[in-house]
Order: sequence, then C-alpha cells, then structure tokens
Amino acid sequence: MVAISSLTAVLSYAIALCGIVPLFPWLAATPRMALAAGLLAGIWQERRGVWPLKNWQFNLAVLPVFLYYAFQFSRANPVQPVVSALAIMLAVRLCGEKSVRHHLQIAALSLFCLASSSLFDLSPIFLLYLTLMLLLVAVSLVLLTFHAQDSRMALSRPHLRKVLAVGVLMPLASLPLLLLFFPILPRTQIPLWNIMAAPAARPSGFSDKVEPGTSATVAESRTIAFRAEMPRQPQQQLYWRGTVFNRMEGHRWVRDATVPSEHLLYKGARIAQTVYPEPGPSRALFSLDAPAIIALPRARGASDGTFEYPVPLTRRLGYRTESITSGILPTAGGINRFFYLRLPTDIPERVKQLAGDIRRRGTDDARRLELLEQHFRNGNYRYSMRDLPTGEHALEQFLFVKKQGHCEFFASAFALLLRAAGVPARLVGGYLGGDYNDLGGYYLVSDDMAHVWVEAYLEGRGWLRVDPSSFASNAGAVWGDGKQRSPAMKLRLFLDSLDHTWNRTIVTYDFEQQVEIARSAGKRLQKFEMGKAARAALPYLLLSMVLAFALIVIVRRPWLFASRNERLLRRFYRLVERDCGVRVQPGSQGLFETAGQTGNARVREFAAIYAGAVYRDRKLTPQEVARLHRILEEGFVTRT
Amino acid sequence: MALPDHNRTITTILDTLSRDYLHGKEEVLRLSMVALLTGGHILIEDLPGLGKTTIALALAGITGLSFGRVQCTSDLLPSDITGLSVFNREEGHFAFLPGPIFNNIVLLDEINRAMPRTQSAMLEAMEERRVTVEGTTHHLPDPFMVFATQNPSDQSGTFPLPESQLDRFLICTGIGYPPEHLEKGIIAGGGIRERIGGMTPVASTADILAARRCVETDIYLSDKVVDYIYALVAATRSHGMIQTGLSTRAAISLALAARAAAFLEGRDYVAPDDVKGIAVPVCAHRLVMRPDQETVDRGELLRALIADIALPLA
Repeated sequence: MVAISSLTAVLSYAIALCGIVPLFPWLAATPRMALAAGLLAGIWQERRGVWPLKNWQFNLAVLPVFLYYAFQFSRANPVQPVVSALAIMLAVRLCGEKSVRHHLQIAALSLFCLASSSLFDLSPIFLLYLTLMLLLVAVSLVLLTFHAQDSRMALSRPHLRKVLAVGVLMPLASLPLLLLFFPILPRTQIPLWNIMAAPAARPSGFSDKVEPGTSATVAESRTIAFRAEMPRQPQQQLYWRGTVFNRMEGHRWVRDATVPSEHLLYKGARIAQTVYPEPGPSRALFSLDAPAIIALPRARGASDGTFEYPVPLTRRLGYRTESITSGILPTAGGINRFFYLRLPTDIPERVKQLAGDIRRRGTDDARRLELLEQHFRNGNYRYSMRDLPTGEHALEQFLFVKKQGHCEFFASAFALLLRAAGVPARLVGGYLGGDYNDLGGYYLVSDDMAHVWVEAYLEGRGWLRVDPSSFASNAGAVWGDGKQRSPAMKLRLFLDSLDHTWNRTIVTYDFEQQVEIARSAGKRLQKFEMGKAARAALPYLLLSMVLAFALIVIVRRPWLFASRNERLLRRFYRLVERDCGVRVQPGSQGLFETAGQTGNARVREFAAIYAGAVYRDRKLTPQEVARLHRILEEGFVTRT
Repeated sequence: MALPDHNRTITTILDTLSRDYLHGKEEVLRLSMVALLTGGHILIEDLPGLGKTTIALALAGITGLSFGRVQCTSDLLPSDITGLSVFNREEGHFAFLPGPIFNNIVLLDEINRAMPRTQSAMLEAMEERRVTVEGTTHHLPDPFMVFATQNPSDQSGTFPLPESQLDRFLICTGIGYPPEHLEKGIIAGGGIRERIGGMTPVASTADILAARRCVETDIYLSDKVVDYIYALVAATRSHGMIQTGLSTRAAISLALAARAAAFLEGRDYVAPDDVKGIAVPVCAHRLVMRPDQETVDRGELLRALIADIALPLA
C-alpha cells in the first residue's frame, strides 16, 4: 500500500525542482538560499510528519519580503525583483504544511518559475523541463483528486499503477491535439469557420479604374481594407495613396502602365507606418500620401509615387513604409506635360467652353487651378452617394445639371477640366480617413473610406494635392471632425485590436518579429512613465477590482454572510473531520447523527447545546456561545 | 413530574427489557414504546418465531398493563374479538362479556388471516377506541395499543390489509434475526416465556399515561422541523415511482412519532434527526407504489428520498 499523501508530496517536490533548477543560476543569493532551505525544510518536516509553523504564519512572514521586492522593482530592473519574490513564495509554500490547495499553488509557482527562467535564457533544455513538469503536474493532479476526497487514502500497487498510467496518458493523449492547436490551426490563412463559403475576392471599394456614371447609387461596405500602425495624425492628412490614374479613355480614368519617368523629391519629416492589408485581389500597396519608401521585398515603385506588389495580396503580410504628408510632391526636373494633358477627343462642348474660359482668365497654372476651385466652390455642388448622374454624359450632367455626385465625379470632372484648361493633372486613388484604435495604436481603414482625389502639377512647386470633393457645399457635414465615437464603435475597435494582435503575432508569425516585439516591449518598459500609466490604468483597474469583488461576493455569498450559527457549524464540522476522522455530509446528516458517529462526548455536548437553541427557535445565549467556542478551541481530540 | 423523570421511567423500562429479557430487540422495543407513548398501533411484519409475541408480552408485563391475544383465522368473527352478551340465567338478564380487545395491549397475531369483515371491525375499534355491541357503547381501556403481526411470506388463504387500513398503524416494522452472539445466547438460555410471566412491573399505568401527556405537551416542535417534515411528505408526492404519496395523517403521525423519539432521547425538542430516524417505520408502509413498481423496497426508496432532502441545521 502506498499513501497518496506521501506520493503527492514527492511529486510536488519534483515539480518544484523542475521549476527551480532552470531558474537557479539566475537568482540572487537570498532567494537561492531561501529556495534551498525551503525545499530541505519541507522534506525534513515531511519525513517527521510534524509541522511546527502554521501556513498563515509563513504567509505573514513573507509579506515584508514581498513589499521589499515591490520597492526594488524599477524600470531599470524589472525582472529580478519579480523572480526573487516568486522564488521566495515557492520556498515558503515548500516548507509549510500542504493541503490540496498548497500542492496546486506549488505547481503553479513552479510553472511560473520555469517560465521566468526563459526571460534569462531560452535554450532547448527548457523544453525538456517543461515536458517533464507537465507530465508530473498531470499525474499530481490525478492523485490530488484522490487526496482531496480522503487525505488518508492509500492505494495498493496495482491500483497505483493504473492511476499513474492514466496520469501519464493524459498529457500524451493531448499531444496530437496540442500539435493541431498550436502550430497548425492559428497559422492557417483560411478562415476555418466558413471554409466553404468564403470567396477569394472581397467586395472592393477600391478599383483599378474610375468610371463615374455606372450606377445611380453606391452601396457602402465596412469591410476592412487595411490597418496601419502609426502614431495618431491630424485627420485631414489621412490620404492613403494607392494608385494613380493617368489617362482618360472615353468617360473613364484608367492607369496607363507606361508611366513617364519623373523624379519625385521627398523632403520634410517622414512618418513611419506599418501597414497590414487584408488579403484581397488588389495589388496596390497603400501608405499615407505620399510614400517615400515601402520596405517589402518584390514591391515595385513607379515614378508617380505609387507602389505595387507583383501578385494580388492574397496572403497576410505587413510592410513598413515612410511617408511625407505635406500634400505637395516636388520634382527634380520637369515632367512629361504632354502625357498629363492628353484628353479624349469627344469632350462635350460645354466642358470645353468652361475650360477655355478658365484658361483665358488665368495667367498661369496656379491661377487657373484657383479659378477652377472657385467654380466648384461657388457652383453649389453637393456630395452624394444617391441619385447620381448616369450614362454616357454623366460627367457633363454632374457639372451642369445635377450638380451632385461622389468623389469620383468630383475628381474626374476636376481633372478633366484641369487638363482641358492646360494644367497637367492626374487622379490618385486610395482611401481618406481612418478610425484610430488607441488600444492597438493603429488606423483602421475600411472600404467605405475609398476615395479619389486630384494632383495638379504647378511649375516650380510640383504635384499639388487637390481634393475636389472638399469643395462640395456639404463637405463639412460629410467629412467633419464632429464624428462622435459611439460605444458600439469603441467595442468594434476593441475587438478589432484583438483580431489584429492575433493576426500579426500568430498568423503572420515570424521569429524576428517576435524578437523585435520583445525588444520593443523592453524599451517601452524603460520609457514607461509610471504616473501617467497608473493614472490611465486606474479606472480600468478599479473597475475590474470592483467587478471581481462583486463576483466573489455573489458566488460566496452564503459563505461570506454566514450567520453566527453557520460559522459555528462550519468550524464544528471542520474540527469533527480533522479530529475524529469522520467525513461529514452537512446537508444530509443531522447533528446528533454526526455526534453518534464520532462517539465523542464533547461532540455530543456541542450538538446538544447547539441543537437545543436552534430547534427550540431561540438564539444561543452568550453563555452557550462561550461554551461552544471553548469546546471548539479545545478540539475533539480524545487523549488516551 | 418533569420531563427528565418521565424519561427516566421509560428508559428504565426499555433498559430492563433489553438487558434482562429481550436481547437484540432494541429497535423494535424502541418503536413499540414510541407507539405506546403516542397512542398509536404497531404492525410487525416478519417471519414466525422471531419473538413478536414475546415482545408484546414482555412490554405488557413490565408496564403492568393488561394483555390480550387474538389468533386470527379465517373463521374469526368480530364478536370473538369485541365480546358478546350472554344471558345470565341466575340474574335473569343479558350480561356483556368483554372480548380480548378490552385490554391495554392487544396482540393480533397474523392479522392478514382474518377475513375483511373482522379486520375492519378490529381496525374500527383501533381508531375509535370504543366498541358498540347490541346498541351499547363500551369504551376501551386507556392506554390502548394494538400489536398486530403478519407473516409476509405465507400468502395462501390470507386477506392482505388494504392501504387505507395500513394507514391506521402508526408504525410498521420488521424484527429481523438477532446478531450472532446474542442468538447463540438465546439458544443456550432457552425461551423466556416463563420468566416473562413472573416479571415485576417497573412502571405503572399512571406513569405511562403521564409520559404520554408529556410527549403531547412538553416536546417542542420547531417550524424548521415542520418544514423538514413537509419537504419529506412533498417529495413522496412528486416522486415518479410512487402513485400516492404521504397523506396529511401520515405527516401528523410522523410529527407525533418524532416527538416520542425526541422524548426517548431525553430532549424536550424535536431535532431533524428524530424525524429522519423514525421516518421509515412510520411512513414506508403508507406509500402506494405505481403498479409496475410494486416490487421496489419502499423503505429503501424512502431512505433515498430522505438523503436528498437537506436537514435544517442553522
């Protein structure tokens, strides 16, 4: 026969060793000594079966140590105090008497110790310790369930072998699942839930041509286009450049792949971003207008300030980019004016007249641009997604009849007029705006933010960004900053940040990036502004504490708000179990029944006094309470 | 006399009986005493030869109560029990000759052998505590307790008691074989019928009546315990295997028996333990099972039911 209690003790020491050994070389002298002493004291007391010091005394004694290490904690030295406190807590648990709860605590603390050893050194032997510990913990958990039932239980050898086999088998059986869950599942690009239904293409707000007038209304979708990690920017600078449409064909703008070469100059402060596009059929690489560099292997930059990936972005990836957001792109040397002034032949007469008028009144390109802007501002054009002009002459209708349309109308018409008036112009397609996620520190850009604007070339200055949609009479209402964030929006952003974290740390996992994250976390910890962070975290901390407290109160209400009688009874049962070795089932056993089972005169006395009050519907008198307490303090151990 | 004195008298009776005369019959004796103290009747279902008659005799002998015995057969007439009027030639008028039922403790042996007419007459007498013969009502003595027995195994030529009549017995229990060492002692010592005849009473009729009054009035029954009894009764009413649960009369009987049990424990209040301890003998025979569940042991079922009901402890 093997006693369960001694077996669980041995296992606990083994588990503790698995945690201590890898951490030991990195510890300071005091925790080292504490650990060694705790382990030895624990084993020695276990052998003698005597525990002179109670656990609560240990807990009290460890409190100043804990405080000492809490004060040691600093930005420069964040790890050592935590690890030391951990080690001392484990040492204390090891040398105290162990109930089931304490065994579990030892297992948890050891696991933490092992985990913290990886902060100092990550070698393959860590895996060995981890495997060993998990095996031991599994066996120990199985045995502890027996221990919890009856602490004096002993198992015969065949039974023990069976129990151990089950304990060992559990982690082994979970190994295939572990393989499935950790290395395979999270890394798949395929959404597992709707593997059948998911079409490869997403409904895109961004397309490879600008063709106003194909439909009378435009539906907006809030599908995510991409996320860009970067510091918060002024909202009016959030023009995300994707592609440039440089040729007008009939009534639509397209991209001519043979872009005339020009040399753009990027001067001024650069804003670094990391962009994570959602997989889709597009090949354009987005970045704040205008990107100087996009650091992505195989990405190709064109001379008009756009970048493209050779294949559609169907995989999850992220790229770093740097942008200048001044809104003007100077060029070294001239541009191919002819290319950027080309127009189709069948331009409506009214458009020609308007353009000719502007060309005559303006003395130079800058003046002409100004005049055209005035025309748009004074023309009472409205931005709208509904009731749009359609058909062959949609642009003409927009300009002179309906006077309402969306950004494609504004930009197409504006660029057309510019070119007709002799100012080189092109359309830039991308996105405008973005919801900043404070939690994740990134902009969330969705398809409904797709936008087209115009770049006009002014001799001596360069390509100037002009957004004709902002000349609409209702532009303020559409793009005003007064957008309040509703709680639903906040929740959406919060959930999205979780999604994003998952994508970037698990799905697009690569080791270098992990190291980078760890390093930057370390840096951030060093830059950590204690007061500010504390102030920011305080409401959340308080809220979660209040919630946790409420939860505890609700769950343990009968326990916390027990009447005096219930408390007495609880103590009575505990003592009966401890001193008389009788298992009590409080709900289904009467007091006298329990007393009869123990055959103990003092238990009987307690039952008689207690029941005498309770079942006579009166309160216990102070004398009776005192007597009951005295009985309980003396315990029910019969001295023979 | 206060409660402790009454209690002492009664426990002396039980102790004397189980020490000197009836070895290994403590539980039956205790239940008989509960019946006697509450004015109820007891039905003992067990095989012949386990000491049913001896127990009744001994109980009568030690309390100094009168004892009557009726051996039930299928041709037993009601008048054989109640008595009848006989013409007295010398005095020239009919005189009533009381039957065996006019005793404090009446043993009805093998009650299920009597025909229903006789059974019902007996049970009516048990309930009413009086007998009407030829227009004259005769009151039965007080205390009055019927000690009925029936043999469960031998069923040919019997008239099993219907449920409604079983309900009139406060307690229904078996005796069981005594433990091995006690039975060996009994075998060695021989029967004790003769010794019982020469028993000296340790209590009087007045003592018994006083103790009974004490049980009725001095034992406190808390609302908590009433709730517990109700929970038990309600549980039998909603159980899937039981056709008819416990009646209100059963609940009253249970409370009364629990009072007597508490009295025997020397307490002046009823604890849930008392209810729990006496519930099976008081209630099991009153449960009417569903036709397909007839073979289920009602005692076991009731014990399982009780185990699920939380005792009021605080």
